Amino acid sequence: MKKLLALILAMAMALSLVACGGSSDDGGSDSSSTGDASSSTGDASGSDEAEASTGSTGTETSGSGETISLTVWGAEEDQTLLAELVEGFKETYSDYTFDIQIGVESESTAKDTVLTDIEAAADVFTFADDQLVSLVNAGALQSIDEMDAAIQNYAGKSVADIEAANSAGSVAAATTNDTLYAFPMGGGNNYFLYYDSSVLSEEDVASWDSLLAAAAEAGKQVGMTLSSGWYNASFFLGAGFTTSLNDDGTTNIDWNGTSSLGYTGVDVVKGILSITSNSAFMAIADGDISNQIASGSLCAAVSGTWDAEAAQTAFGDGYAATKLPTFTVAGDEVQMGCYSGFKLIGVNAYSENVGWATLLAEYLTNEEAQVARFEARQLAPTNLNATADDAVSANIAIAASSAQDVYGVVQSVGDKFWDPTATFGEILAQNQLSADDDDAIQAALDEMVSGVTAAIE
Amino acid sequence: MNKLKSGLSSVGQFFADFGHAVADGDIFVKLSLVWFGAGYLGRRQYIKAVIMTLFEVAIIAYSVLVGIPYISDFGTLGTVQQESVFNPVTMKNEFNDYDNSFTILLFSVVTLVIWAFTLYIWMYNVKNVYRLQKESEQGRHINNFREDLNEYINHKFYVTLLALPIAGVVLFTVVPLIVMIFVAFTNYDQNHMPPSALFDWVGISNFVKLFGGGLTDTFGYAFVRVLGWTLVWSFFATLTTYFGGILMSLLINGKDIRGKAVWRVLFMITIAVPQFVSLLLVRNFFADNGIMNTILSNIGLTGFLQDMGLISNSYIPFLTAPGWAHVMIIIINIWIGVPYQMLIANGVLMNIPSEQLESASIDGANSWQTFRNITMPYVFSVTGPALVTDFVKNINNFNVIYLLTSNFYTTTDQAMANSQAKETDLLVTWLFTLTQDYYNYKMAATIGIIIFIICALFTLIAFNRVVARTGEGDFAS
Repeated sequence: MKKLLALILAMAMALSLVACGGSSDDGGSDSSSTGDASSSTGDASGSDEAEASTGSTGTETSGSGETISLTVWGAEEDQTLLAELVEGFKETYSDYTFDIQIGVESESTAKDTVLTDIEAAADVFTFADDQLVSLVNAGALQSIDEMDAAIQNYAGKSVADIEAANSAGSVAAATTNDTLYAFPMGGGNNYFLYYDSSVLSEEDVASWDSLLAAAAEAGKQVGMTLSSGWYNASFFLGAGFTTSLNDDGTTNIDWNGTSSLGYTGVDVVKGILSITSNSAFMAIADGDISNQIASGSLCAAVSGTWDAEAAQTAFGDGYAATKLPTFTVAGDEVQMGCYSGFKLIGVNAYSENVGWATLLAEYLTNEEAQVARFEARQLAPTNLNATADDAVSANIAIAASSAQDVYGVVQSVGDKFWDPTATFGEILAQNQLSADDDDAIQAALDEMVSGVTAAIE
Repeated sequence: MNKLKSGLSSVGQFFADFGHAVADGDIFVKLSLVWFGAGYLGRRQYIKAVIMTLFEVAIIAYSVLVGIPYISDFGTLGTVQQESVFNPVTMKNEFNDYDNSFTILLFSVVTLVIWAFTLYIWMYNVKNVYRLQKESEQGRHINNFREDLNEYINHKFYVTLLALPIAGVVLFTVVPLIVMIFVAFTNYDQNHMPPSALFDWVGISNFVKLFGGGLTDTFGYAFVRVLGWTLVWSFFATLTTYFGGILMSLLINGKDIRGKAVWRVLFMITIAVPQFVSLLLVRNFFADNGIMNTILSNIGLTGFLQDMGLISNSYIPFLTAPGWAHVMIIIINIWIGVPYQMLIANGVLMNIPSEQLESASIDGANSWQTFRNITMPYVFSVTGPALVTDFVKNINNFNVIYLLTSNFYTTTDQAMANSQAKETDLLVTWLFTLTQDYYNYKMAATIGIIIFIICALFTLIAFNRVVARTGEGDFAS
């Protein structure tokens, strides 16, 4: 009896080991399953056999009786809408049988989940445009250009039609190496100025100088996140500096030199320092902006459409939004730029039914779907017809977002961009650089540039 | 040292026995070198013969069908890059017969483990068959299959007990560990991600890079600082919670304290609340614009510190500036860690023989002397080994550091930022950032090996010393 008990305990321990191993090491277990998958497509067996097997499955799908299974990943707040759109898709292609599963995956973390195991990821997934290059480099995204024939056959439009129907910026954001890799789903993923019009006038919010002066007079502060490359780039982009990407995933950045408008990086930093040294300016940690807007000590804040509700609650009747203000560079007033962000829907290059996955992605981003998404989620459409919609242009936050978008550029940076620029912004936020010390500013800029441009080791 | 010697000699003995068996065995023993079941067949153990033959067939089948194809690619980790063409008629992508470097690596390791196991079985089998030959020569009884099975629930019961756990450990700990060690010698990173790209062997260049011999990278710079903080952190985190816990339980167990149970429960509450909840709350509590800063600035302390020139901002950077953050993390960890140590110390303190304490007080020892010469040695002798494991645990204390600083602490050291590290990173949190955010698996594997070596060395040395010095019998005698 004792022995039996001991045996059971030993087995329980072994089982718990198995369970722990399984969850903590999903890399290993996943890849063993991918191993099976790849060997069935002919990894170990002869290539003739592999061709034969793909050929036979091919004929099966072209007959309409076969069920086509697809998986879609979308944001939590998109789930209800996705379910409706998927039903619409099934009706549109009612000659075919679909089995479409909808999963939750935030647009901001899609890349991490997809790259963990591309072959196990969803056939269609939504993501933010800054993840495009990493996904393309890892071979996770299907080129949409290659799918032209399928889209023409079934959806009755060409890739060129789709590119023409959406705003130029959104198409550029979905394009890399002259190839379209995803469908634009929504825009407005940039930042602009929310302000309380009962405290600040329209003239006040035109430039940082007048903005900070008016805020100081009212005993309030103006908040902006500096410790993130996404936000602090707005100063450099406005002064004509650029970033770009190389084929190997490394980033080019010229912020330590002289811009096309003739300003130096040191001039820009001095302009930023004159803002951060003002006591009416509050540097806010990345991700903390909503809390700070809600706290009530701010009369204006730089943020995006996602904070519209927080700003509306905090500013009440005074709720207003506009493009970013100008700031002083070498004596001139320069309009701040921004990175225009877009939400995209991509197709997994390893999808079993890549053609149908593309058609589904196309359907989820067409004009009707974008209008529906605006109504459900207040996400600014990229489709030009949908943008012209009255309800869209009447939305205060989206209007400010589009006003700022005029000064926006597509965000083309690699992964190495983020940490060095965040650190540089934090140095500025903490006033660790002195505006008189040109050499120190130049050295800090050089160090940041060397970090951003570093090879991917 | 002696243990090591005896371990080596028993391995030597195993090979020597195998040699004897091959040299002195009869035809059945020699035949079982190629046919596993032959020896048992010769002794009329038919079931065993069938089982061993099936085992051999299974191993050969696996090797030919799976093992050898993967092992033959092990040297190059694959050569055929993935390519695909879309077929608009079938609406599917047609892939070429491409290699997946990671699958090759994984299956090669699995195959090597299986082959090592088979080698052991092969040698053990020959030895076993030779033993049977001896037994039959001496005319002793040879077990039939049922009797053999019975052995495993009688005096070989430990084998039955350990079989499953060992299989689990090999499958889920040893194999991934070997794979990880191999990854440290490849260029598996963002630009070489299977299945779309292949990765390859690069020798020890990752280690060279880690120790600063690489390109213009700041990896070496960051590594030294992160390692330094890891050791400082583990030392202070272990020491403060250890003594904090003992002092706390001494306090609660003091003669004059009333409501002991209430106090104990109160301090246990930090354990009852999930760690991540309390850590995230504390993090927000000490944020630059958090409650603590608001209170301090309202009572004028922030202004006072600013006037003194101790801080340059309008807030106290509790968790956002180096130095401040380091001290705060250790202090917050005291609050998180002390209750556990208090529980342990409580149990130990209740077991101190009261005669010793009484005789000490008769001899006129004061409370410090009692603590120094009786309580502490006793507690230390019991919890010494736990102290060592605590230190190693703190080297890898992911929760506290990650929850308090990730996405919250922004370094202002540009050289650190260029290597994706920050001053408050432990090796293990840095490793997490590298794999999670930058897919730099090869450097993560390299750092992982370094962490393993540090922990293993420390544990070996510390255990030998602590356990040797605080042998259980010493105190009682």
